[in-house]
Amino acid sequence: MAAWSCRFLLQRGTRLISLRAAAESPVQLVGCVRTVKTTTWFDEHLTEDNQKYMRKSLAEEYRRQTAEKLNPLKDEPWQRHEWTEGSRRVGLVAVKLGMAPIWTTTGERHVVTMLQVQDCHVIKYLPKEEYDGCTAALIVGGKNVSPFYRSESELEMFRNAGVPPKQKVTTFKVSDNALIKPGTPLYAAHFRPGQYVDVTAKSIGKGFQGVMKRWGFKGQPATHGQTKTHRRPGASGPGGDPAKVFKGKKMPGKMGNTYITAHGLKIWRVNTKHNVLYVHGSVPGHRNCLLKVRDTALPTRSSTLLNPPFPTYFSEEEADLDEDLYDDNLFFHTEPSLTLT
Amino acid sequence: MTPRDKTRFCAHGFRTNSHATTGRSDMAACVKGLDKFTFSLRLIRNLQLQNERYLSTSLCRSAPESNADPPRFIPPSKPVIIDKTQPEASKRKFLSPEFIPPRQRTDPVKFSMERKDMIRRRKVLDIPEFYVGSILAVTMADPNASGKVNRFVGICIQRGGKGLGATFVLRNIINNQGVEICYEVYSPRIQKIEVLKLEKRLDDNLMYLRDALPEYSTVDPDMKPVNYSHTGEVPVNKIKVRMRPKPWSKRWERPNFDIQGIRFDLCLTPEQMAHAQKWAKPWEEYDMLKEYDTSQLEKEIFLEVQQEMNK
Repeated sequence: MAAWSCRFLLQRGTRLISLRAAAESPVQLVGCVRTVKTTTWFDEHLTEDNQKYMRKSLAEEYRRQTAEKLNPLKDEPWQRHEWTEGSRRVGLVAVKLGMAPIWTTTGERHVVTMLQVQDCHVIKYLPKEEYDGCTAALIVGGKNVSPFYRSESELEMFRNAGVPPKQKVTTFKVSDNALIKPGTPLYAAHFRPGQYVDVTAKSIGKGFQGVMKRWGFKGQPATHGQTKTHRRPGASGPGGDPAKVFKGKKMPGKMGNTYITAHGLKIWRVNTKHNVLYVHGSVPGHRNCLLKVRDTALPTRSSTLLNPPFPTYFSEEEADLDEDLYDDNLFFHTEPSLTLT
Repeated sequence: MTPRDKTRFCAHGFRTNSHATTGRSDMAACVKGLDKFTFSLRLIRNLQLQNERYLSTSLCRSAPESNADPPRFIPPSKPVIIDKTQPEASKRKFLSPEFIPPRQRTDPVKFSMERKDMIRRRKVLDIPEFYVGSILAVTMADPNASGKVNRFVGICIQRGGKGLGATFVLRNIINNQGVEICYEVYSPRIQKIEVLKLEKRLDDNLMYLRDALPEYSTVDPDMKPVNYSHTGEVPVNKIKVRMRPKPWSKRWERPNFDIQGIRFDLCLTPEQMAHAQKWAKPWEEYDMLKEYDTSQLEKEIFLEVQQEMNK
């Protein structure tokens, strides 16, 4: 598309030149035509039939790849170990759906964020030496995307794992007994109601902001003789002795669009059919953003992680899992109304 | 709504049955000896009429008895229980507004999952059809109330929220003090929602009752439910309220509120009304980006909800 428009511009330019050639010199006109470094859409040079065929075959390929990985336990799984205290499991990549209210059995209202786990697969295993020399790591990806806009080097990792390319790829540090074979699908039932998780995501970008919004400074009063001083930072450091502003001084600047972790969020409910996690409170990021969910690192909450599915939940192992897993204190909507005593 | 509402007792079942059996055997004899004994046709017709008058359910059972078999015991038909004191299920097509998702780029899965929970709750608690302007009574479990239950009667002045977080606000004046309670429709603490008077008003939001004379928001807490028809249009109460003198909580005369239910002629001069038109945005009517046509969506969701509720 872009290339066409560029070509069109060039043609137009030459035509203009030829028309006006007699009147004035063409050099100026040629100078204003910019050479744009163009990229092409994948379907740019394809006929409509071929485009359709490509899309269809791609969808089929994705479906085939996903179906192949559905039974990871049959397909030579890696050595499995027992859950021990202090093991570190892999996490998930999830999509933020939005927020909803829930009620507890005591009638309290809480808000939860619904996170959906879409096409989450383990993609690569990084041994200790390759990662940082201390722990092993697993690369996990979530949400399938089109491969046509990715470079070959990006796609290589997914091809090795035999899964479709993913929109979001993250690394999880895992203990040595929690390793999973690349290509294994991960589900929402990896987490269980009652346990606590940490959620990491890129926060919503706020742009360039002043100190009052960015750092919560107090600003100055609106009246009482203020001149052009209402939301300003005030003084920025001590005077003569250090004679400098210390590094890290809170100042105006770009706010948001950074990775933020919300620690210790309780899981209230897990829907195993649609792979939805109901996580307490708010999480960073906008709607439909991709986030990283893992077991909490808070020492006070680690006791809630009793005998979780280890190293992850395998659908063929626990096939009789309910569609909805609830926390004990959660009110189900099928129960009669509460009577408080 | 729910079938348990129907509790009318059809008590004439057994008595009529005995009448019918005797009448029918008579009739059978008559028909057999019709060529020998000439009975008056009027008698037969009388008997037939009697039959018809007393029992209409016997028609299907007349065949075996005409073969002169001994009359078998036929249990009386099961009484159909219909309670006329309870409101009948509404025949009107009504979808609660919180079922329609807001216009945003959210995965529809989220709304469908919420809808499932809403339907589950609606199967347990009867949430009736009501509108802004209807008078409701809500019974709610309240840990601080005596008896742990609180019943509040008021006029619904606002409905808000989508999905599970839907709310409505009831307003009443108690001891000369305006009281508003915002209820969550799907909260498990709500035990009963009764519609005492079903009607609409000229506006979809009656927040201006805060600045109106108190008589317009006063409802008797011991009000008896008013019977209403379950078919046809919902009655619209075209009352226009008189306001307290300014200042009001909001400038209700401004065009963005578009309020029909206030007697502006009593409290504002024509100049003031003309001045308020300065904030009119007549071009927004033609803004196609702000258009959100929910009719198709509404139809689909209505069907889905109906199917799920009937399961």
